[in-house]
Amino acid sequence: MSTLQIKHLFGLRGVSQSDIRTILDTAMDFRQVLERPVKKVPSLRGVTVVNLFFENSTRTRTSFELAEKRLSADTINFTTSNSSVKKGETLLDTLRNIEAMKIDLVVVRHKGTGVPKFLADHSKAIIVNAGDGAHEHPTQALLDMLTIEQHLGSLKNKRIAIIGDIRHSRVARSNLWGLTTMGAHVTLCAPSTLAPRNREFFNSVHFEQDVRKAVHEADAVIALRLQKERMDDSLLPSMREYRNFFGITRDVLEQASPSALIMHPGPINRGVELDSEMADSDQSVILEQVTNGVAVRMAVLFLLSGGRASE
Amino acid sequence: MNKVILKNVRPFVQGSFQPLTTMNLVDGRWVGESIEGAIEIEGNGALALPALFALGLDFQEPLRDDIYTFQNGYTAMRRGGFYGGLYESSANPIDDVQKLSAIQQVFSKSGFQLSILGSFSKSYKCEQLAEMLELASCGVSGFGDGNHLNATTRFLRLAMEYGAMSSKRFFFLPLDLSLRSAGCVHEGDVADVLGMKGIPRIAETIVVHTILETALFLKVPIHLKQITCAESLNLIEQARARGLDVTCDVGLYHLLFDDHVLFDLDSHFNLIPPLRSPQDKQALWDGLKRGVVDAISCNHTPVLRQEKEVNFEDAVAGAISLEVALPAIWSTLVDHVGERRALDLLSFNPAKIACAGLQKMEKRSNIDLVLLDPREPSVVSPKILSGAVQNTPLLNNQIPSAIKGSYIQGLWTQV
Repeated sequence: MSTLQIKHLFGLRGVSQSDIRTILDTAMDFRQVLERPVKKVPSLRGVTVVNLFFENSTRTRTSFELAEKRLSADTINFTTSNSSVKKGETLLDTLRNIEAMKIDLVVVRHKGTGVPKFLADHSKAIIVNAGDGAHEHPTQALLDMLTIEQHLGSLKNKRIAIIGDIRHSRVARSNLWGLTTMGAHVTLCAPSTLAPRNREFFNSVHFEQDVRKAVHEADAVIALRLQKERMDDSLLPSMREYRNFFGITRDVLEQASPSALIMHPGPINRGVELDSEMADSDQSVILEQVTNGVAVRMAVLFLLSGGRASE
Repeated sequence: MNKVILKNVRPFVQGSFQPLTTMNLVDGRWVGESIEGAIEIEGNGALALPALFALGLDFQEPLRDDIYTFQNGYTAMRRGGFYGGLYESSANPIDDVQKLSAIQQVFSKSGFQLSILGSFSKSYKCEQLAEMLELASCGVSGFGDGNHLNATTRFLRLAMEYGAMSSKRFFFLPLDLSLRSAGCVHEGDVADVLGMKGIPRIAETIVVHTILETALFLKVPIHLKQITCAESLNLIEQARARGLDVTCDVGLYHLLFDDHVLFDLDSHFNLIPPLRSPQDKQALWDGLKRGVVDAISCNHTPVLRQEKEVNFEDAVAGAISLEVALPAIWSTLVDHVGERRALDLLSFNPAKIACAGLQKMEKRSNIDLVLLDPREPSVVSPKILSGAVQNTPLLNNQIPSAIKGSYIQGLWTQV
């Protein structure tokens, strides 16, 4: 019997080990539900959830929406392409209007760091961050952790390598906070123009510029999606050079533990950050991550709405 | 005009605060004889300081009177104890004499000593020179960049070369716009944790270096606005040692806060230049102590509530400060540099930099003063802020001291 100490989910930085444990355990229970013939529970019947997506999203929004439906919540989708935001409405007015419709929970994605907290400061609804700028994407990290635990047992002392555009990645940030809280050893690897420039707050993780050294004896390798815009911003010379020096290839993966998991938040640039051979190999758990995403989001919505872990 | 008797106050006379006394004020003068029919104010040991002079005033008028009006600005000055300031409008570059004379006319009715910075380029665009000689002959105090320096080094050189004929000082906010890019916070640990685009120190130091070298080459007096890091202060010291007439200021909020406050993502802390690291903040205090920094600037920038009530990165940068500057910083400032130097930084030096008249506190002379109780904490409530804006990071926070009132141009303002 436990509920969460947090009232909203803004990110994993500062979230306690016991809260993460509760979410992962509850997600594991919901994972069983997803295997049943009838994949639906009445846990959030009567609860209204708004999916407020100011950035394009297919996977995360679909995953949240499915999680809400599996929990029997009433779901509304709000995207900027079909909203009054296009007519110049401010973020705060958008929130107030939606809140006036007596909603209980808001799942938000926005390009701006801190938008979930901003909404929580101005609203009575429970807020779940579905990605804010390059800040955090906590449910992605939680589903990554769940996937690793499913295959490797505890996260404690596991060696996890995260390779790619760390500087602009909300997935990397949430993962490094969450994984280190749970006792994993995290190594970050990126070209210098895509790595965090200052490392005072990253003292719990190891930085490595050589991808082979970064994945050495790793239990799991998380490759991050490389945005093509990085070339336009002069942060990288070419996809080709990136692939040759930072891509996850068979050759690179030979440095890792023989049973190392290959992970990716999707969508994959095949042949850039991850070779097709690796993405489709037996070590790849990328599609399991997608399934676990629904379970983790069910757990987060359920627990933040007041549900208890053992219910 | 008001007659005011200030009882049990400690006036700042001849370089120090005097024992408790009574000050009789009539029509803007401190008179020796007793007066009748006056408002009586019990000071309870409060300090009677010479009124202050603000660097970095921007009331946004005439183009944005929906945000703030000149009248709002004057009220804020009275509440904060300012007798004057250096005005540089971001919305209305003073690049010809018609604009200058229009604003001079408005200011002449205010009673405040408001100096005006002209723009050295037309519309702050740094493409064409403004008519600097004419502007100088009509009374600008110097030439500025509107806090948006987008000049090529060649244009910078030509502007200073031409403007040097006027003998006026050039004012720059040193910030390389390409290095700033979309950044809105200091490029440091906090930016990396928050995943926000940062503005590196070199965005400032590279421009400081360029300006100093150009000014040394051309022998032009300059002022650098809102310095934020030790490296810039070192460059300024070196340029002074090489004979350059260079003054500089640091912003109020850069002395009060560092970038660790950004973890709360309060958009009131969205400032340009950005709040830097705790080490940078310490370097600014050290710069005040060892005399490299000449003044503390207010950079009073009103921003509409709806432009701050958004997420941090989308908020309009800037903060108001006139009403809160003195009570927020006085005690800490005196602890660091003493009373005399504190007044140099807040009143005398800013006025000198702006070529304005200095305050002098003597019996039987005209005075403007501000009454401050340094031991009485106060809360920055919305009601003490002038106009419809509330964009100060200190909003609803307790600050160490309280202003009891000001006496400026013969008018007592109770706070």
